Amino acid sequence: MKVAVFWGCRILTSQYAYEMSIRETFPRLNVELVDLPETNCCGDPVKSIRELAADYLATRILALTDTTGLSDLLVPCNRCHFALSEAMENLRKDDKTSKKIINTLKEEGLSYNPKIKIWHTIDFLHDFLGIENVKKAVQKPLKGLKLATHVGCQIIRYSDLGRIDDSENPQKLNNLVNALGAEVVDYPKKLDCCGGALMRSHPDAALSLAGTKLTLLQSLSVNGLVVSCPECGLMFDSKQKEAATIAGAKLNLPVLYYTQLLGLALNIEQEKLGLQLNQSPVNQLLLNIER
Amino acid sequence: MSMSKPDLILREKVLAKTGRGVADCFQCMKCTSGCTALKLLELKPHEIMRLVEWGFLDELVTSDIIWTCATCLKCTERCPQKASPYHAIMTLRNVAVEKEVKVPEAYLKAVSQILESGLAETIQKIVTRDAETFDRKSLKLPKIANPKGGFQVAFMKILEER
Amino acid sequence: MARIGVYICHCGLNIAGVIDVEEVAEYAKSLPDVAIARHYAYTCSEPGQRIIQEDIKTENLDRVVVAACSPLMHEETFRKTVAEAGLNPYLLEMVNLREHVSWVHFEKPEEATEKAKDLIRMGVARAKLLEPLQRKKVSVEKSVLVVGGGIAGIQASLDLANAGLDVILVEKSPSIGGKMAMLDKTFPTLDCSACILTPKMTEAARHPKIKLLTYAEVESVSGYMGDYEVTILKKARYVDEDKCRGCGVCAAKCPVKVPDEFNLGLGKRKAIYIQFPQAVPLVYTIDEENCLYFSKAVCRICEKVCEAKAINFEQKPQRIKVKVGGIVIAIGAEIFDASKIPEFAFGKSKNIITNLQFERLTSASGPTGGEIVCPQNNKRARSIVFIQCVGSRDKRFNEYCCRIGCTNTLKQAILAREKLGKDADIYVCYIDIRAFGRGYEELYRRARSMNINFVAGIPSEIYVEPDGTLSFNVFDKNIDKLLEIRSDLVVLVNGLTLSYDAEKVSAVFHVPKGLDGFLLEAHPKLRPLESVVPGIFLAGMCQGPKDIPETVSHASGAAAKVIDLLSKGEIELEPLKAVVHREFCSGCGLCEPVCPYTAIEMKIEKIDGSERHRAEIIEEMCQCCGACAIACPSGAIKVHHYTNEQILAQVHAACLK
Repeated sequence: MKVAVFWGCRILTSQYAYEMSIRETFPRLNVELVDLPETNCCGDPVKSIRELAADYLATRILALTDTTGLSDLLVPCNRCHFALSEAMENLRKDDKTSKKIINTLKEEGLSYNPKIKIWHTIDFLHDFLGIENVKKAVQKPLKGLKLATHVGCQIIRYSDLGRIDDSENPQKLNNLVNALGAEVVDYPKKLDCCGGALMRSHPDAALSLAGTKLTLLQSLSVNGLVVSCPECGLMFDSKQKEAATIAGAKLNLPVLYYTQLLGLALNIEQEKLGLQLNQSPVNQLLLNIER
Repeated sequence: MSMSKPDLILREKVLAKTGRGVADCFQCMKCTSGCTALKLLELKPHEIMRLVEWGFLDELVTSDIIWTCATCLKCTERCPQKASPYHAIMTLRNVAVEKEVKVPEAYLKAVSQILESGLAETIQKIVTRDAETFDRKSLKLPKIANPKGGFQVAFMKILEER
Repeated sequence: MARIGVYICHCGLNIAGVIDVEEVAEYAKSLPDVAIARHYAYTCSEPGQRIIQEDIKTENLDRVVVAACSPLMHEETFRKTVAEAGLNPYLLEMVNLREHVSWVHFEKPEEATEKAKDLIRMGVARAKLLEPLQRKKVSVEKSVLVVGGGIAGIQASLDLANAGLDVILVEKSPSIGGKMAMLDKTFPTLDCSACILTPKMTEAARHPKIKLLTYAEVESVSGYMGDYEVTILKKARYVDEDKCRGCGVCAAKCPVKVPDEFNLGLGKRKAIYIQFPQAVPLVYTIDEENCLYFSKAVCRICEKVCEAKAINFEQKPQRIKVKVGGIVIAIGAEIFDASKIPEFAFGKSKNIITNLQFERLTSASGPTGGEIVCPQNNKRARSIVFIQCVGSRDKRFNEYCCRIGCTNTLKQAILAREKLGKDADIYVCYIDIRAFGRGYEELYRRARSMNINFVAGIPSEIYVEPDGTLSFNVFDKNIDKLLEIRSDLVVLVNGLTLSYDAEKVSAVFHVPKGLDGFLLEAHPKLRPLESVVPGIFLAGMCQGPKDIPETVSHASGAAAKVIDLLSKGEIELEPLKAVVHREFCSGCGLCEPVCPYTAIEMKIEKIDGSERHRAEIIEEMCQCCGACAIACPSGAIKVHHYTNEQILAQVHAACLK
């Protein structure tokens, strides 16, 4: 099967491991990724500046998807997924918004197709591909690994918009980790935010939020944390050291993307999955996988 | 809070833009009780809702407090009156920009970055745990397809549109 | 030539504030057959009615048109008015200028006035063709069905029986008593619920005019006000009610233990059981699903030890048919399912309980003998938090207020303080405290004087810590601070919803539900005791949340309405019926299945030696909907008071401009 893919900004400019692991694992699951002819920001930071312009940026992505002839779009970032979802909802509800954006796109020779279906990494694997097919593809079950998951905020909230999983008890990422043979450890406050959105204007507060959550996670006996959003990955992995400083804690928690874990279970080389790029001590986690 | 006068005209605009029933808020505190930004940044979503409903917008629009929202959406999800402080806050941010009050530098930077390259971020080099340096090229990742053609003009136009 | 009197009501400013009533009256005067047209401030008042009555005499009126509010409001009133003046009550036509004009077109007064004129022109055209009709008296059954054996059903039954009517009280559980039997103490007096309830339960069971059918449900209803036929399914309890002495030896020996519904899962009962010690009737019931004999064909110990020989595994369910004149629905309410609000973690810890479960904890006859312990480890609770409005005042679930949540919590918090001592931490997290009834504000002050912490705010999320403690943050708007609270026990104060059987009851009795899910009354202010179905009345919480005094009043009120209806032994039927003109009826039978009230029967007649089919409408069941008249291809069915000629005259008048 083919699916178009929109990476957003963070993945393309710093969270390379997430991109690498998706590009490596999906073909093994018989999924062909089709890049968009052009890309632009989903509009997330522009929501705070001017909602209309943000919705335009999001709709442009959907219009670009339409030019590929495909009707399914993979969106691995929580915030991009939310931005695209809200844009589609705003175009549905508000005629004025819809007209302005559609006319602007027309001037570029682009048109909006409301039938494009967007998918996040989680529900693409869990529902579109089907978790049974993920299970079947596993070559090296990750027995012995005890992991915590962090799904994030904008991918499960707010439920009125239609999100990919239950807002208070999301299970799909857990199921996907279980499908790889690893054990998932639940914890209170699993719905707490990574703080990523505050990095732009209040970086100390953002890092403090990340640090608090990492400290809590570290107190559970887990081998690592699994994330599936580049913003969360940025906070928990790339900025773990800074978060430790701000939170006044010693943090040593391995953090990796679900698709990196998936790649390990599919027996793909670590370098191809970008595991050398993780800033957190993922070596520790790799040692914990039973041979 | 000083005793400022309500701005009823701006209030109409904000209420219309926000959509989700600000008037329905009955101050149950559920949003503030669970607010991600309360402890560190003193954001009280319930207070913002009441100030917006009564039209005390001038202080809000020029404040730093509206920029402290972490956009976690817990308030929108759990509000028993479906009132969404998140949406009210985003509207206030848009008003602040429109009125050209001081807004966090980083957002303006993101906008100019998008105008320049289509993306809100610049490409970064990653230094690994083993002190090696990588970027897209060295990782053999495909080149980013920045927007061509009329994108800049279109984006600029829609940003300025009133 | 008719002589029609037209009366345009101002209804204060309700109508006159939008419509130019003078102009409309002038217009009415100009219409053919109109002898006199007036406008008046409050036509339904005594002086207003007298004007009409005097005009009937002095102006020799033979038809009256009242242009005012909805006929649902005052058609009866004005029918009486004209009847008292000697005019047949069905020669009255009402034109709705309020609900159909002034209340909906208040922004367009000129167009509204024009519409008023149009409607009056139509009303006058119909009035001309109205025919006098006579009410018929029919005898009624002097017996009543009461559905539901909680306090509402019990109170209504007692009032009805004491008035001399025969009552059949049907209760789906093995015992009557309802939710009130589950309560420990009642607010605001803190007297014991069982102590005030059980005497009434016993009285109901012993009353010579009350027949108690427990472990039974109503299966179907047919008929009409004054003459209902009801089929009741009495489930098999496998215990002979006449022989069982309630000694309890069977339960003592029964090897099966299952979660106890009466104690809401906090305790266990046996497969043969009574719900609570004061059950009425004091008869054991075998739970077929869990009994070893029914599932595995073994055991039967209860049968062996029963001295009264009351166990009967061969017992079959019975269908009992009864005829009653009136029905009182008293099926009560249920509490909201807190698992629908996952952020409050109901189900994630045994120490997060509902307000009803708390009643069972404090109750001396409950699973803990009245000790407030944490269900998780049976240790005495040192801290307890009440979270108000769970599932109430919440647009995601039920928008309405549950009415009793605040006072019930005040009571529970006070009891908690009395039982747990002065060192226990007791918090109430609220949005508002509503203490409206007699003695309720005083109860609130009493609670405040007992070191009970009232937190002005509700939490967003409740966490279950690894050691079992429940923790959450809550912002108190009074002191503008975030409180971090840790507690042994959390009580979710769940709101109320209609009983789980509501769908079934609603369908069986054709009693609709309101938007909030409770059964719909005929008028929210003036007729809260009657359903929209004639002869069926509502008692208690099924018509909306109530406390006990309100429930008892409501039930007694419903009983009074039934007594009103049946005490004379006969009632008058409205003559608004459909009638088959036999000469035109071809016997095709198309009308029969179309009637939603099953009021049409196809009869076979012998005429000149040959058999012919003919439709016959059962007058008492006909609700005058007109569906049969439309279905009839021969035009053989005439609908009294809504004849084709009358309706077409209105249409014709509407098209004239």
